[in-house]
Amino acid sequence: MTSLSHRRLTDEYLNELIESAPCAVAQLTDDHRRSLTARFRAVVTPGHRRLDAWSVEQAGQRGRAFRWAPVTARRVLGNAALRRIAVQPLTTITAGVRDELADQMLRATSGYARDGSLSYWLASAPHPVLGLVTAEAVNWATQLQEVTEGIHANWSVAPSDAYYDVATARTTLRARRDVLIDRDDARVVVRVRSGSPGKSAGPGLRADLTIDALADHEGLAPARLIGLWPEAGVCLCVDGTMADLRAGARDLVRTAVAQRRQRTALAA
Amino acid sequence: MTTLLDSSPISVVDALRGDRSKRPLIDTASAAGLRSLLDDGIYEVMGAERVMTPLVVRASSLHRASTTDIMTSGTGRLRGVLVSQVLRLLSVGVSIDHPFDDALCAWRSEVGTNDLLEHLDRLDDDERARLATDLDAHCVTLSRALGEIPARWRPRSAARAIQRLAGGNVVLRDVVDLVIGNTTSDVASIALFDVTTSPLGEGAERTMRYHALVQTLRTSTMPLRTCTFSTATGELWVRDVDYSLLARSVDEVLSCVQDLWSAR
Repeated sequence: MTSLSHRRLTDEYLNELIESAPCAVAQLTDDHRRSLTARFRAVVTPGHRRLDAWSVEQAGQRGRAFRWAPVTARRVLGNAALRRIAVQPLTTITAGVRDELADQMLRATSGYARDGSLSYWLASAPHPVLGLVTAEAVNWATQLQEVTEGIHANWSVAPSDAYYDVATARTTLRARRDVLIDRDDARVVVRVRSGSPGKSAGPGLRADLTIDALADHEGLAPARLIGLWPEAGVCLCVDGTMADLRAGARDLVRTAVAQRRQRTALAA
Repeated sequence: MTTLLDSSPISVVDALRGDRSKRPLIDTASAAGLRSLLDDGIYEVMGAERVMTPLVVRASSLHRASTTDIMTSGTGRLRGVLVSQVLRLLSVGVSIDHPFDDALCAWRSEVGTNDLLEHLDRLDDDERARLATDLDAHCVTLSRALGEIPARWRPRSAARAIQRLAGGNVVLRDVVDLVIGNTTSDVASIALFDVTTSPLGEGAERTMRYHALVQTLRTSTMPLRTCTFSTATGELWVRDVDYSLLARSVDEVLSCVQDLWSAR
């Protein structure tokens, strides 16, 4: 039995979800980590494996190869712009995005960016593409700012996604997180996605919950992980219970198995 | 002969801002009622049956089949897409020197490849030059009317919305060219701005209402006004959003659902 629930995305419902998050959260122990490592090691992979909520939702199906585009760059730049605005509240979103763009390009021109990085791509992008990147990042930051303006609790824009490297299993897990809400007793994590939630949105949320708990040095799960789909005006959430963590871990391992089967089928 | 005025007689920014002292209090109560009207109406059309493939309603679905729309031609659609790209660039204060080249460059980075781009690549030099000249004229009209949009108004371009109704049997999809204002103030401040390269007609009015309806359903907050601007004629239509406008759009959506359901 999992704790997945569904609400319309309004300030009232979002605050209710934050305030009603359970106080007691599950904790992953070293035994849990060892057990997960053993399961991933059993699924042999020829190269390094990266899994996230998206791969769980797609049941391990490989999509098109990643390429930088205004849509793929918007989240990094939009969140960074909001972090700037938190420090300098008088800055507009557009100015925040432009400053972040300038910083990214400076990184490339000063030799700190590697091939294939966002900085590298931006530095070589023509003027109109940079304009479109700005427009997309402004869209992202504005919708996230509208969400956070209505939150009563203390919040901050997440400094980065959560990563967990499964030791000796050549596997890296990544969980998206956009806003962190600090409560005295626990934390609530908010992640934002475009489009509308599909049938596999619940497993995706649970995968993010599990990875977030694994990435915590004490293994503490977030009290609640809330997924927002502003374009659809809905939010889904799961609680940091052991049942949800187990379900999330199972889905991640299943995804690794599905990926291996597809590779085997392709090779045959 | 085409002549261009030194300055546009219409200021879009002024029209969107309106009289600040007359803005109504934010309405967060109507969305639930509109959703119920839609759900009940869809139930009457489709019953309780759960369909495998949902009916998808877009702004273009509301246009009457008998209406001739110049946007339906390949070149017309191309022009529309490129003007939308120009609007996106203008909304964040990017200066545009060559509208056709800049819009095309931005669009290619966004979509990679698609049928419309292939259609563009098949155009010969004359057709391409005509499209570029045409786009220049549309962009001059747009940029003169639009002016500079203050960043404080939180402009966001190509704002998408998806609404599932009746348990997912019907999906409303929408893209508004430009949205300004925010949903968190005490008074209504969201303005929806749509650009078309066609002359304005009944279809444009339906589209304006549809944008307002989907925005209301998505945010549970009624927008302040909905506008549409024709880069072909320089006309700007502005409507303040109220319950009757949204209820009319509900009827139009239900009528469209009826047509789509009958055509299955």
